[in-house]
Amino acid sequence: MDSVRGNWFREFWPHLIFVTGLLVVWEWAAGQKMLNPAFFGSPSGISHYLWDNLFASPKLLIDFGWTALGTLSAFVLGSVSAVTVALLFVMYPKIEHFLEPYFSALNAMPRIALAPLFILWFGLGVGSKIAVGFSLTFFIVLSSTVAGIRGINPDHVTLSRTLGATPSQLFFLITLPGAVPVIFSGLRLGLIYALLGVVGGEIIASEHGLGQTLSYLSSTFHIDGVFALLLLLSLLGVAVVRGMTRLEKYLLRWQ
Amino acid sequence: MSATVAVRELTLAFEAGKTVLDCVSLNVGSREFVSLVGPSGCGKTTLLNLMAGLVPTPPSGSIEVLGGAPRLGHQGIAYQLARDSLLPWRDALGNASYGMQVRGVAREAREARARVMLAKVGLASFERALPKALSHGMRQRVALARTFALDAPLLLMDEPFGALDAQTKLTLEDQLLQLFQEEQRTVVFVTHDLAEAVALSDRVVVMSARPGRIVADVAIDLPRPRSVRALQKDPAFHALYARVWTHLESGWGGNDIDEAAHG
Repeated sequence: MDSVRGNWFREFWPHLIFVTGLLVVWEWAAGQKMLNPAFFGSPSGISHYLWDNLFASPKLLIDFGWTALGTLSAFVLGSVSAVTVALLFVMYPKIEHFLEPYFSALNAMPRIALAPLFILWFGLGVGSKIAVGFSLTFFIVLSSTVAGIRGINPDHVTLSRTLGATPSQLFFLITLPGAVPVIFSGLRLGLIYALLGVVGGEIIASEHGLGQTLSYLSSTFHIDGVFALLLLLSLLGVAVVRGMTRLEKYLLRWQ
Repeated sequence: MSATVAVRELTLAFEAGKTVLDCVSLNVGSREFVSLVGPSGCGKTTLLNLMAGLVPTPPSGSIEVLGGAPRLGHQGIAYQLARDSLLPWRDALGNASYGMQVRGVAREAREARARVMLAKVGLASFERALPKALSHGMRQRVALARTFALDAPLLLMDEPFGALDAQTKLTLEDQLLQLFQEEQRTVVFVTHDLAEAVALSDRVVVMSARPGRIVADVAIDLPRPRSVRALQKDPAFHALYARVWTHLESGWGGNDIDEAAHG
């Protein structure tokens, strides 16, 4: 444990020095007007903005909540429907065969192009953002779930059939645990894309959310605010990926 | 004596003109250990799968297993595949109990039984080990434990040691002999390894290259209990091996010799 912590510190120091150095140079260059603060902001301006809108007023926390709500809903709805459809596909390959060309076409389309339509249909609120996130997550989780179920070790199936396994035993004891590794890599990607879809939708037109605030700040040339939002969004993205990786490691201890 | 397995004049063709089994008749008595040997593609695994109900019985001929038509999932049959087919997400105990779980044995009972079987195959201290942490030989031992843990009088085994190295194979064969001695089951064992067949069996059934016909049924009268290692130095063992080998050679059809030598 101590040596792990020691390694962590040794890894951490160079990054701390690098980032501090970058911030000092940035601040100095902005103060000297070598970098135009109207385009690049400054670290002190960014921290002021963060202080004012995170602690003095909870504005960004509320935006964060809306974005997180949209992302989570899009992810859950998208994944649950994708797993359901995937099961249907595996049980009835004819359905998959029929739907495949339409799904391919939909999946190939840049989904953000659907955002204006979704906003028209579902309004400016969180509903249209969930729709955009859903349209991205669904196809990713669908294809990985189908692949995961198709990739089940046929020996496990043969063994279970000779044992007289019922369809539900086969599903819960073999198919599901066997497909989880592949499904999970789809879920992780699906969550990242749910966030992308929701923020993208918010940037286009929205009442709330980090994307909406980002869009407002950049159109009013509040560059410190834009950088602060980008920082928050990247932290959110990292947190999402980290969380999924942890869950995956826990569920797939056997790998 | 009522046979545990009775195959009568069975002919199987997967498609017209491609006969896999040609008029095969075979009886396996209760508590007998019978090996099916033959060149690869001779239909020995197909014959085993017919008994297991994995392949539907063809209209020509008949096959009877444990007094009835073969049925997939028959409670009286334990089937073991060539590869260990352990579930990688379950530890040794969970894998050894898997068969009993599917067949509805309560958790406590199946785990107690699985513990006993793991101890018998020398893995008492590996109950909690995941398959990834076990060697090939150990994994195949867990598979043996899973097979014998089932309360099934008939064991159908498809080259269970085919993928093991020579040393590990000898150890596992001895393990199987010991289990067979203690547990009193009927075994039908498919292998392409003649030495293995002679060392383990009461009878070695030799099949010809496709279409598979039975060319010899050799009684192995070596006394039990046996040890595969000790048999290596036994002249009687080598004489029987030579006999089976002669039959196998006679069953090779001309251009299949190369394939047979490999398989």
